Amino acid sequence: MPRRPSRSLPASAIASFIQPAEIDALLERVLPDGAERAFVVRCITQEGPIHHRGSSYALLRLLGVLLDELGDEGDAVADPPGETVSVRLRLPPHMAREGDDDYPLRMPTRPLDAIEPSGDRKHAALVDCLTDGPPHHALANAAMVSLLDLAITRARAKRSRDG
Amino acid sequence: MSERPGPAIALPPTVHASFLVAATDLGMWSAARLFCRELSAEGGAPLVEALRDELGRDFPVLDGVAAAFGGGELQAPRAELLADALAGIDRLVVTGLEADALDALAAWLSLDVELAVLTGASALEPDWRAALTNYARPITRLPLGELQRWAGRRSALLTFLYGRDHAHAYVDSAWMRVHAPDVRVQFRALVGWNLLSQPLELYPRWLSQTALEDFSHVVGP
Repeated sequence: MPRRPSRSLPASAIASFIQPAEIDALLERVLPDGAERAFVVRCITQEGPIHHRGSSYALLRLLGVLLDELGDEGDAVADPPGETVSVRLRLPPHMAREGDDDYPLRMPTRPLDAIEPSGDRKHAALVDCLTDGPPHHALANAAMVSLLDLAITRARAKRSRDG
Repeated sequence: MSERPGPAIALPPTVHASFLVAATDLGMWSAARLFCRELSAEGGAPLVEALRDELGRDFPVLDGVAAAFGGGELQAPRAELLADALAGIDRLVVTGLEADALDALAAWLSLDVELAVLTGASALEPDWRAALTNYARPITRLPLGELQRWAGRRSALLTFLYGRDHAHAYVDSAWMRVHAPDVRVQFRALVGWNLLSQPLELYPRWLSQTALEDFSHVVGP
């Protein structure tokens, strides 16, 4: 007897848990301008395939939980994020305007130093993978790396405090 | 069953063609405002009602404007309502034509913001070259195929809404050409400027229905 295909949950079930305001609040620290942040949040939570919106939302919220658990005591003395890279708009190349062809959210590359040394071709390839692809995907990657950078900073500060 | 008697006033037989010419040059809403003003000055509310009765089904935006007019004053479009939606942008592309609203927008918008009108995508289009000579600021004619040249993180798209309910609005069909998934993530703000205070009562001939979710900002009534 052929196996009955499993039913997907309706799209409305996914839409029901996505709260853009939660992501907006999470990204305030890495993207202070409200209008620019609203653009990025819309791209992550309201554009692209619905399962992507839902999964990006879930992962970003989990990173928010992690940041809360780590506490923000070390933020004031944390080093600036260092080098950042842009996420490009997916414009036809001949139509891009220099200086306005990327999203306002930039991705810090510092966390990737733990995987491959900065300046190495493999490091550049990591950056390329994270910032390439559909905008909703690349922006979610950039947002997650930004929050992970903050989480790593907080974890190191906590370990330092705890001795 | 009795039928509602039509207005006793006969409009000239050319009024249909005249309105279509005006709507092509000015936009449906702006032409309707012009006709309501002029006919009201000529024959008061009965003449406006006659216009609505005669042309309303063919031009539902005219029907909506005449219904709201009711012999009273037409309120000027308030471009300042767009302040939040357009904060921080440096380029704005307008899809669809409404001369009265574009006049207000062009006068209000900072000269630091580049302004363009999309061409080649609407059901009715004026002679844009001639139309844009009336403005005191530069306004670029932007063919649909060139739209993405104006994309960017400080760019916005704006179109006019002809009435809305809780979930839908009626728009110039040009909007249906431009708000594709790729373009949606290339413009910071997707703005719907609603011009009618009530949803259309008649079949929305000339227009397309779309979801309010299309827009990052909806302003107006």
